[in-house]
Amino acid sequence: MSVLSKLGKIDYRWLYITSLILTAIPLVYPIGLSVTLSQPVKDYYSAIQDLPEGSVIAVSFGGSASLLDEQEAQFLATWKTIFSLGHKVLFYSTTEDGPMILQDHLGDKVKPEDYGYTYGEDYVELGFSPLGEPGEASFAANIRGVYAADKYGTPLDDLPMMVDINDYSGIDLLMFQYTACTSIEWVVRQWSVPYQTKVIATTLGCCGPMAAPYYPSQIEGFLSGSGAGTELEVLSGNPGPGAAMSDSKSIGILPQLVFIAFGNIAYFANKYMKKEDDQ
Amino acid sequence: MATLRREIPKFIVMIFGLFMLLGSFTTIPIFDTIKAELTSWTVTISAVSVWLGAVYASYANYRLYQRNKKEGIEHLIYFIVPFVVFGLQFGSGILYGVESPQYRWYFTNIYQNIGATVYAVMFFTLASSAYRTFIASSWDATALLAGGIIYTLRQIPLFQVMIPGIVGAGEWVMLVPNVGGGRGAVIAAALGALALGVRTLMGQEATITEGG
Repeated sequence: MSVLSKLGKIDYRWLYITSLILTAIPLVYPIGLSVTLSQPVKDYYSAIQDLPEGSVIAVSFGGSASLLDEQEAQFLATWKTIFSLGHKVLFYSTTEDGPMILQDHLGDKVKPEDYGYTYGEDYVELGFSPLGEPGEASFAANIRGVYAADKYGTPLDDLPMMVDINDYSGIDLLMFQYTACTSIEWVVRQWSVPYQTKVIATTLGCCGPMAAPYYPSQIEGFLSGSGAGTELEVLSGNPGPGAAMSDSKSIGILPQLVFIAFGNIAYFANKYMKKEDDQ
Repeated sequence: MATLRREIPKFIVMIFGLFMLLGSFTTIPIFDTIKAELTSWTVTISAVSVWLGAVYASYANYRLYQRNKKEGIEHLIYFIVPFVVFGLQFGSGILYGVESPQYRWYFTNIYQNIGATVYAVMFFTLASSAYRTFIASSWDATALLAGGIIYTLRQIPLFQVMIPGIVGAGEWVMLVPNVGGGRGAVIAAALGALALGVRTLMGQEATITEGG
C-alpha cells in the first residue's frame, strides 16, 4: 500500500484529537478574526432597524438549551438591538426550554429594564405553550385563545401593552426562532402568506439552506448558526459570545478539511494504481 | 367492530377537514369561528400527546426489558431514568418554583450541559463520516463535495479572510442552486400533501386508520 493510499485509512481518533485541541486554542488565545457580513444578516438587522420606534415585535421563541451554544450569540445581539431601538416586544415560547432561556437572558444578561423598559408596558412574556404549526395559526388569529394570561398569571387585558393586541394585526414584525429545520414552513404558511406579516428568523447553521428558499419574499432576513450571530454582533455594535466561538470554529474545522482532502487524494491514488495494474 | 374502528376515524377526519376547508375558502363567519376553535384545540391535544408519548415510550422500554432481561438492561435504564429526571424536575419545580435559583441551577448546570454534550458528541460521527463519504467518486458526489466545501469555507471567518470571493461563492451556493432545488422540493411536497389531503377527506387514505 502506497503512502497516498494510506491517507484514506488514517485512524479517526487523530481527527478527533486534533480538532479538539485546535478548537480549544482560540478559547485560551483569542485570534480576533474579522467577519464578513452576509446579505441575509444585513436584511435581518434592517428589518428590525427600519421599524418605527414603538413598533410591536412578536418573538416566537423555540430555543433549545441543548443547542444554545449555536444560537446564544444570535439571541443576545437581537435582544440588545431591539431594546436599544425602543420597540415593544411580545415573547411567547414554543418549547419547554424557552421560558428558562428567556429568564436567563432577560433576567441577567440583557435586562430590558436597563434600556428603560417596563414590564407590561414595553414587553410581555407569555410563557410556554406547545404550539406547533396549528398553534401558530391559532396565535396569529386570536392570541387570547391560546394565552389567557402572561407567564405570571396576569390576565392579558390587565397589561397595558396588550390592550390593543389580540391578533396578527397588532404585530409589526414576527421574529421566528426554531431548531427543527422544516419548522420555517409553519411561519410562512400561518403568518407571511395569509396576513403578509413581516417575518425574520433565527435558526441553526444546518437549517440555513432550508430557510433560504423563502428569503427574501416571505422571510425578510435570517440568522443561521453562531457565525450569523457573530455577524449581527458586529453589525449592531453589540459584542457578545459569538466572537470567541467564531475563532474556535475557524481553527477547529481545519483538521476535518485536511482529512477530507486526504480521503480524496487516497481515492484517486487508488484509482490510478488500479488502472496501472490493469494495464 | 373492526369496520367501526376504521370508519369512525375517517368520518371524524372528513367532517373536521371539511370545516377547516370551509373556514379557509369561504367568508361565512360561522366557519371562521369553528376553524379558529378547532385550531386552538390542537394546543391542548399537543400537550396531551407529550404525556401519551412518554407513557408509550416507557411502556415500550419496559416490555423490551421484560423480553430479554440479560441483554436489555439499557431498556431498563431508558425506563427508569426519565422518571428520575421527571421527579427531580417536578420536585424542584413544586418545592421551589420554576423561577427559583434552585431550579435554574438544575437547568443551567445539569440539563443544559447534558443536552449540549449529547449534541457535541455528534461531531465525532459527523467528522469521521465526512472523511469517509466526501469523496469525488462521481459527478453527483463531486457536486455535493464542492457545494459543501464552498458553503463551509464561507461560514468560517478564517477563510473569509484567506480566500477572496469565498463569501460571494458561498452565498451563491446557498441562494441560487440551493434555493432552486429547495423550492422544487417544497412545491413537489406541497402537491403531494394536497393529494394526500384530498384522499384523506374522501376517506381513501388507509394510513390514517391502519398505520403507515
